[in-house]
Amino acid sequence: MSSTLLPEERALDAHVRTNSSKSKRYGFFPGCVAKESCKELFNSTMLLADRLGIELVELTAASCCGASVLNDTNRDVARVLNARTYAQAEALGLDDVITICSTCTGHMRAANKELRESEEHMAQANAILGKFGANYKGSVTVRHLLWLLIDDIGLDKLRSMVVRPLNGLKVAPFYGCHIIRPESVNGWESARHPHSLEDVIVALGGEAVDYAGKTRCCGFHVQLEKDGIASSMVGQNMRMAKDNGAEAVITPCPLCHLALDGYQADAAARWGRTDLPVFHLPQLVAYALGVPAEKLGLNKHLIDPREVMVSRDLIN
Amino acid sequence: MAKIKLDIFRFDEATDSVPHRDEVTVDLPETTTVLDALEYAKAEVDGSISFRRSCRSAICGSCSMSIGGVTSLACKTSCGSAMEEDGSVKIDPMPNFQPMKDLVVHMDPFWDKYARLKPYLQPNDADSAHATERRVSPDDMKKLVDVANCIMCATCYSLCPVVSVDPAFAGPAAIAYAYRFIEDVRDGKRSDRLAQISEDYLWLCAHCYACSYCPKHVDPNDRIVDVKRAAITDRVMMNERGPRHALVVAKTIKQTGMLAETEVIQGTVGRFNIRGLLKVAPLGARMALKGKLPPPFLKPVPKVDEIRTIFDALEAPVR
Repeated sequence: MSSTLLPEERALDAHVRTNSSKSKRYGFFPGCVAKESCKELFNSTMLLADRLGIELVELTAASCCGASVLNDTNRDVARVLNARTYAQAEALGLDDVITICSTCTGHMRAANKELRESEEHMAQANAILGKFGANYKGSVTVRHLLWLLIDDIGLDKLRSMVVRPLNGLKVAPFYGCHIIRPESVNGWESARHPHSLEDVIVALGGEAVDYAGKTRCCGFHVQLEKDGIASSMVGQNMRMAKDNGAEAVITPCPLCHLALDGYQADAAARWGRTDLPVFHLPQLVAYALGVPAEKLGLNKHLIDPREVMVSRDLIN
Repeated sequence: MAKIKLDIFRFDEATDSVPHRDEVTVDLPETTTVLDALEYAKAEVDGSISFRRSCRSAICGSCSMSIGGVTSLACKTSCGSAMEEDGSVKIDPMPNFQPMKDLVVHMDPFWDKYARLKPYLQPNDADSAHATERRVSPDDMKKLVDVANCIMCATCYSLCPVVSVDPAFAGPAAIAYAYRFIEDVRDGKRSDRLAQISEDYLWLCAHCYACSYCPKHVDPNDRIVDVKRAAITDRVMMNERGPRHALVVAKTIKQTGMLAETEVIQGTVGRFNIRGLLKVAPLGARMALKGKLPPPFLKPVPKVDEIRTIFDALEAPVR
């Protein structure tokens, strides 16, 4: 194993020595997109964590979760890559790994389920991890930040922390497939009738918009396979949201964000203009909890959310 | 007993230009299946209500319909489980199909896609070349039994978001059934079948798991992944965007630990495919204006050698 310490190893070392902080610590797996084209998601997550008084310890040496695509090339590689990530979390004493992407959530949980339920898979993974001195015992639980907000912070506490309520802003939830389906992997709430995002929207002082598209697919994973396919799926879903009165959309998934924010313009020819601004989950929560709007990277969105925020007296 | 309000989609393509809805109230326990409630309504209230049904026990696959917004078998779904707060149960024909009469739809596109994959065994040699029946080991058969449970109810097809925007897509059931023959050791047309299903847009599956609502637990989603892997192993239509995309994702993860967005886009569309790149360019330009373009190159994550060790140990293919 390399003798150089990772940043999180140094930080935890200091943490243990000084025991200065009493805040709850979580392993943090930001995923690829939050470090590449959706940096505003990463930044607003860290600002939100600060407000919530929790510590997110980033697993900086982690690999991609496999993004649902790696399984198409090999049946084992994504599972073993994720086992390596879990081994890193375990070595740091962090059994709770928090994600901010629906796809990461679903695929990391699927890998973890296979590892924990099959001795054969666990043995295969550890035989490979052993080549570089790592080992996964099976203690890690993968959860999305959305679940943390509701299970660990709680909706009552969240409501009490709101300093800038959303003034009835009509927000349509967009879950992203892999945080709810398949239910055998996620199972934290009903895949057919989830309501966690609605609960958060209401807790922040917004109004949740119901529409059939909220649990449907954004098309991100096939955006390159055939021209126009993702924009059609985006247009169909955003049309439903808009027709039901939505002024904005919230999503816990940066892949959905890229598709919904990016393709509404292309979808207009077939589905009519929708122009719904799309918030990353932590952006809107952080805003309501008092993080200054200009720190949330709202200017990075292709459909600028600031216009609708002005119309609801949320910003000037 | 409870008052159940069946809120039913009504339409007759022979006479109606637009559909309407009828509300039929039946006095039945909430545990009644939607199919039994419909049968009761048809017998006691309105004999013109049309729907398909046969076995009443989730074997024939006839009675799929949209119940409370999600396609399910009416014989396997209780009224109570799909009831709205006002006591109504919303019943519609399956989405992704043309309605014919009330809850009956035109199934032709679904059957056409089945027919295209030649859903019967095509061995390479004559039956007379075998002294006994063609035998399959229990292990080889185990791979096929789940898919063989498919009752062709089209629940997955009607829930598939790709079918809803692109009717050329084969759909989950047909791909899962292609798997049933591709992985059958007695079949001699594996490569033809892989080519056919690739042409029918195997790679357009959006990985959304909507087909995980299968009432028979066939889980087409996992079989679709199996067929894609078989296509890559057998190197079928490797220049199409689907396999290119999967393999360039694998390559960037092996090189950097991360899915490198910029390289994945170029590698999928084709670095020298000028027309293809121009098509993705407008979105790229809009993102660039917002300072949102992913970096052109990524610094590998710490200890990336470990990641490469994993790929090599599993002989995982990359582009």
